[in-house]
Amino acid sequence: MSVFDVLLQQVINGVSLGAMYALLALGFTMVYGIIELINFAHFNVFMVGSFIALWVFEAMGFSGQSQVLYGLPLFGVLLVGLVVVMLVTGFLGVAIERVALRPMRGFPGTAPMITTIGVSYILFNIILLTIGANTLNYANPMPNVRWEIGDATLRLREVLLWVVSFILMLGLHYFVRYTKMGKAMQATAQDQEAARMMGVDVDRVVVTAFFLGSALAGAAGMIFGLYYNYTSFIIGYTAGLRAFTAAVLGGIGNIPGAMLGGILIGLIESLGGQFLEVRWTDVIIFSILVLVLVFRPAGIFGRMAPSKS
Amino acid sequence: MSTSPLEHARGFLPIFWERVRSEQWRRGVALVLIVLACAFPLIDGNEGDLDAAANATAFATLALGLNIVVGFAGLLDLGYAAFFAIGAYTYGIFSSYQIQPEWSSFWEPFQWLGFVARMHTEGVPIDHVHFQVSFWLMLPVSAVVAAFFGIAFGAPTLRLKGDYLAIVTLGFGEIVPIVARNTPYLTNGAMGLNGALPPQLFGYNFGVKSLPFYYLGVALVVFLIFVSTRLKDSRIGRAWLAIREDEIAAEAMGVNRTKLKLLAFAVGAGFAGMTGTFYVAKLQTATPEMFTFPVSVMLLVMIVLGGTGSVAGVVVGALLLQLLQSWFLQDLTEWVHALGRFTSIGFLERIDLVQSIELIFGIILVLMMLYRRQGLIPERMAVAALTHAQQTAVPSRGSKVGEFKPLHSQTVDSKRPLLEIRGLSKAFGGIQAVKGLDLTVMPGSIVAVIGPNGSGKTTFFNLVTGLTRPDGGSVTLAGEDITGEGPHLIVEKGIARTFQNLRLFPNMTLMENVLVGTHTRTDTGALGAVLRTPHVRHQEAAARERVMEVLGIFGNRLMPRREHLAKTLSYANRRRLEIARAIITEPVLLLLDEPTAGMNPTETLELTDQIRGLRDRGISILLIEHKLNVVNEIAEKVIVLDHGEKIAEGSPAEVHRNEEVLRAYLGRTATAAVRAAAAS
Amino acid sequence: MPISDVQPRQPLERPPLLEFKGVDTYYGELHVLKGVNYRVGTGEIVCLLGGNASGKSTTMKTIFGIVRPKNGTVSYAGETINDLPTAERVKRGIAPVPEARRLFPRMTVRENLEMGAFCREDKAEIESDMDRVFELFPRVKERLSQTAGTLSGGEQQMVAMARALMARPSLLCMDEPSMGLSPLYVEQVFDLIQAINKQGTTIFMVEQNANMALSIASYGYVLQTGEVVLHGSAQSLRDNEMIQQAYLGEMKVQ
Repeated sequence: MSVFDVLLQQVINGVSLGAMYALLALGFTMVYGIIELINFAHFNVFMVGSFIALWVFEAMGFSGQSQVLYGLPLFGVLLVGLVVVMLVTGFLGVAIERVALRPMRGFPGTAPMITTIGVSYILFNIILLTIGANTLNYANPMPNVRWEIGDATLRLREVLLWVVSFILMLGLHYFVRYTKMGKAMQATAQDQEAARMMGVDVDRVVVTAFFLGSALAGAAGMIFGLYYNYTSFIIGYTAGLRAFTAAVLGGIGNIPGAMLGGILIGLIESLGGQFLEVRWTDVIIFSILVLVLVFRPAGIFGRMAPSKS
Repeated sequence: MSTSPLEHARGFLPIFWERVRSEQWRRGVALVLIVLACAFPLIDGNEGDLDAAANATAFATLALGLNIVVGFAGLLDLGYAAFFAIGAYTYGIFSSYQIQPEWSSFWEPFQWLGFVARMHTEGVPIDHVHFQVSFWLMLPVSAVVAAFFGIAFGAPTLRLKGDYLAIVTLGFGEIVPIVARNTPYLTNGAMGLNGALPPQLFGYNFGVKSLPFYYLGVALVVFLIFVSTRLKDSRIGRAWLAIREDEIAAEAMGVNRTKLKLLAFAVGAGFAGMTGTFYVAKLQTATPEMFTFPVSVMLLVMIVLGGTGSVAGVVVGALLLQLLQSWFLQDLTEWVHALGRFTSIGFLERIDLVQSIELIFGIILVLMMLYRRQGLIPERMAVAALTHAQQTAVPSRGSKVGEFKPLHSQTVDSKRPLLEIRGLSKAFGGIQAVKGLDLTVMPGSIVAVIGPNGSGKTTFFNLVTGLTRPDGGSVTLAGEDITGEGPHLIVEKGIARTFQNLRLFPNMTLMENVLVGTHTRTDTGALGAVLRTPHVRHQEAAARERVMEVLGIFGNRLMPRREHLAKTLSYANRRRLEIARAIITEPVLLLLDEPTAGMNPTETLELTDQIRGLRDRGISILLIEHKLNVVNEIAEKVIVLDHGEKIAEGSPAEVHRNEEVLRAYLGRTATAAVRAAAAS
Repeated sequence: MPISDVQPRQPLERPPLLEFKGVDTYYGELHVLKGVNYRVGTGEIVCLLGGNASGKSTTMKTIFGIVRPKNGTVSYAGETINDLPTAERVKRGIAPVPEARRLFPRMTVRENLEMGAFCREDKAEIESDMDRVFELFPRVKERLSQTAGTLSGGEQQMVAMARALMARPSLLCMDEPSMGLSPLYVEQVFDLIQAINKQGTTIFMVEQNANMALSIASYGYVLQTGEVVLHGSAQSLRDNEMIQQAYLGEMKVQ
């Protein structure tokens, strides 16, 4: 394969990965923007989401990649899966906020973040103990259609997943910028007390942010499974690291930043994996995280959240 | 009014705890515990139990180390296991067959010292070096190596905000095992180091026996408890606590934040490094899996469970969780299985608690954070409330001026300006907060700075004291240029301040709050704190005496409450405490930012007198005030700021007559006011 | 502290719009408001004077429900509102102009105004209110699509007041409206406050600038270390010696 083709293939892979990381980073950064909380549990909600989607597809009769659908039935099945996953993970996020995080609201320092570490552990280990450490083959109804561009391959599933991600991101952007609740979220993120004085129900805003963010995480989980054809208990950890770095890179609290950061990290991962040994990818991503935090904590686009004084 | 039986009973518990925590009791309890610990192997001869106990001591020392970073200094470190790994691999490399350079004459002196041996292998032409540095030597050496890495990790990252620092440390904590896994030359990768030398004591080889490691572990725990406690109750420990409570205020009182944070990281890392050596010597191997993120989280759970900041607490937390895993979980699982059979709940019958240990950790962490954040053994117990008599005692004013020594030991030339400010400027974004400010303060004078809210007064103070760097201009103190210096250096040079919005250390006692102020004028370091040499003890006693003296300036308002937490004070007392804390830094110039805000006229009068008294004892005063009667009373010179510029300067009377001041400060012009009055 | 023997207040025909009776508020252990009493009659401009740390901001926060009193009652339009959530209070007609403006910095002026009407549902009325606001504040209309954080202090104050008016409040609570403003803007702001009052909105104003406040208010309270130490008609307060010394600094208006 010519260099160009290799590059193109990695760009395709990178964008696919990036879209997934962007979705994951979005939910995370949205919550941070409003209540300045680093929510470790977010990435295991993503992992739980991938399992939920798997069970939904299995419940609809699919197992493995043997059964394939085309056209409208395919869209229907994917839609059902997406809706169910997003609802379940959305409510899971709301439950986590209500039980474990709201009592800690307003506590200074890192106490709330430590609580999310605990919640994350709980989610992770519940799945590990009930399902086990094996990777599960994904029930995937998507056909294996592919197009050749030179020596590079573009698969139908990638296009579908880009479309789904794009629609979700666009939806979120529209919601935040133009709806009343979205504006309430913006206002709360910029000045919580002033928003409260305008009559905004800050608790409701936080719950909405958690619902939307966790729903997006669940969607990202389903996309992960459909893209890689597998899922396992550990994916929250590996994808989480990348999504976290993406959020920080784009400017934590900054929604467009998270999208761009996600794509960038996806590209870095795929291009990096091409030219370096894969085992160093983790180190590279971590190093980017550390470097950004040390030298430019505001990220590429600058922070959108008020800083804790 | 006599106290009811209920009040008696409620009062009893804190008094009981007071007694328990008194020195003698604590020593007694500690002695009993040490004896029990030594007797334990005789009581329970089971080798498995002993082995688990020996491992548990390692985690107790790790928890103690993490406690210094998280509990004392308030720095959340999520990658603490990295230092554990560094200590482990350092010992492993210097005591195993991992690295075998070729033999040359370079190695002969080391062979003579016993650090290396010359290895001859059949069929191999060149001899190799076998490292066999003594365990006892490596124990402190690996602590130093780990401390060095603590400083290396900390230097670029310690200025980050709390949760960001946590993420970065998490990053380091992950990178270290990955590097370990991927540099087999040094670490033998995932297979783990093999053949680390067990310790030898006077010819007795520890081998794989648990007993000697158990006693060694107990000794390490006792030693590190000793070091922790000594550090906590010292100049260093107080500085750490101050940083944890309020970094900015700590720095403004003379604490060098960067240096002390690095020290906390280094000491914590040192504890972990030492433990790493111990652990590797015991297991005789080290694999990267031993140092991953779950280990750091487990340590965090241990200190949260036991009580963050409490030395006894974290040891208890560590032992509880370790022994839970090794001793009890198996038995607990059987009971749960039995319960499951009894109640026919299938899930209970099959569950394996041993495997679920991480789930249990997560649940413990969440429950503790939600319901008992201070842990099983809180860092502080409530102090007995003031008796009724003490509460209703008539407040007395401070002692007479002239009874005490001057408040600082510098000689000040009374003919030359003490503070000279030229062209000081600062802009935030587009707003010019201070513009071209000139001011001279002569020694022994009281100068007042007045102006409407938002006119730049506090920014001006921040520029002088180093909290904010000026864009332009100069600040000179007794002829020395101090423009742009950091706050703790400015305190050292002799400028102290109070804050408009009060920045006390709320969870420290009054005594401790003021003691932090002595930080600049004392020099006990970490080593001195641990050794408690006569010089250190003398310095500490002298500092405490000075605190009593300074508290005495405020009569009996603060003195009886000196063991109370600062957050329990009334507003006026908090203001007084801040002034006391500033005075004890022995300043030549004291900057007071609205010291009488929140005080009623009687209290205001009292404080005005006390400020004058301070000036008479050699401190020059620069004062931001809104209460013009205070200004008239004690200020010799007044400057008026408006929108960052000085619009008037002179005696209080001169300033009052100034038209511009009238208009800017007090608002509406005369005619407009009259018009409005006529219309209403 | 003696309560002044100024001329007694005229009895009100209608019940006060806002009333504090024996309100005690605490911040943790700190007793910030000590049994304070305020009465604001409908259509009045009432000011609350005091230095820093006197309890002025806490009064504002208590009105809006950001802090709740431990003892005493806060009543609005005759009803006790101690436990009413903030959103409810805004819906009933109390609007804030917070200390230091507190606009939403990254939203446009128009979006800030819209946030002012957050609790309202009546689209058409909101639009007509916006037109009314533009009449009062022509500057605001000019800057509609500008990001609020880029405006000058005085312009921000205008937007903050306009934003509060978008709630169509019966009671406008202003916290230090003159802070940080140049004298020119201070004049304009106080003129606007009078205009708004003439259009029927009751004003409760916390101020440090006693002269300005007393020149447009009809009644005033003086707060010191959480207690009301003085209250009376604006005229009597202006003439009161204590006020003159403490807040006006013996500077007589010639």
